[in-house]
Amino acid sequence: MSLPNTLRTSITPPELELIATQQLIEIIPLVSMERTVFISGVYGPLRPPNKAKVPLWIAVNLKMKRKCHIIAPNWLTIEYLQNQLALETSNPAFSELPFRYMEISKVLLDVASDDLEQPDKLRSLLKDFREARQAKSREGLKQLDHSELSLPNLSTMEINEIRPYFVEAMSILSRLALPPPRSDV
Amino acid sequence: MNPDYFSIDAILSENQKIQCSFRQKIPDMGHLGGGSERDARQSQKVQLPVWLAYTILYSYWADFNIPTPFNQKVRNTLRAEACSLRLSNLVGAGGTWYGFGKIVMDLMDDEQATELSQVLTSAFRFRLLEIIDQAHHFATLTSASGGGHTTNDVAQLFREGLDVTEREVFALAQESSRRTKRWYEEGDSSGY
Repeated sequence: MSLPNTLRTSITPPELELIATQQLIEIIPLVSMERTVFISGVYGPLRPPNKAKVPLWIAVNLKMKRKCHIIAPNWLTIEYLQNQLALETSNPAFSELPFRYMEISKVLLDVASDDLEQPDKLRSLLKDFREARQAKSREGLKQLDHSELSLPNLSTMEINEIRPYFVEAMSILSRLALPPPRSDV
Repeated sequence: MNPDYFSIDAILSENQKIQCSFRQKIPDMGHLGGGSERDARQSQKVQLPVWLAYTILYSYWADFNIPTPFNQKVRNTLRAEACSLRLSNLVGAGGTWYGFGKIVMDLMDDEQATELSQVLTSAFRFRLLEIIDQAHHFATLTSASGGGHTTNDVAQLFREGLDVTEREVFALAQESSRRTKRWYEEGDSSGY
């Protein structure tokens, strides 16, 4: 294959971000728009004071033109994240967060930080999450064996980060393990 | 580690020498291992590359001794402090200790093979954590700070002692971690 080694093992973070922007999010539009047909579905109509649900990429696009306010998802609030973080640090397992929380929170903090409450606090909370969870996946590495691995509640970006070397390490371990005794002997 | 026919690593692992001692006199085989005599004498010891030793071992012409990279001394060191061992020194530059170990393991009888498999597996698992930690550490260094990086002796020695297989894992982890970090830190310039 002519693909470079790094692209063969997993997809890239920007690609994951692109996938995440397909998810629906609530906005308060500032312009009106009729029902519009996109390949991914039909969205609208946008009637200014009323909330509407559109894919994140549309929301980002409108936000960049100052044509909407984005309503933060219910998990992207100080209160929720602080509670989850307490669970995360007191519990050996990964706590429950949306599957694509890293991508969505990054996009929202980059583009719509004025629609979020205390964006700096959110940033530092999310950073704490990332560090706590990285420490846990390092613990997971200690228990690695050749046959299986279960890390429930790990998010896409985190899986994508550890995938290349976890897979390689497991395949090495499976070659070093003895082949099971043949049944026909 | 890759058993593929075209894998360079597999070819290099098969090129490692293994000590064989002939069980009986073999006529006209004295040239094996560079000897000048015409016949191979009984219990004569020769160092043969593994790819050549296969035929001789499988025809029961000779027995082999456990190669030095896997002898008792190495095993004891691994048990005591796996990270202090320099695997790359044991098999020479470009060699894969694990790949060679796998080949030797396949040549052994069940009992010895089980033991060696445990040695290899526990060595790899123990060293893996240190490999990944260091890979993450190096991924966080930017090119600017990388140049003036003062070397930490123990970590440096460990890195130089990685065998080819481990080096691949190191590179994978470093690249993946660096890529995620770059995405995470690129600010509003993400193309919107």
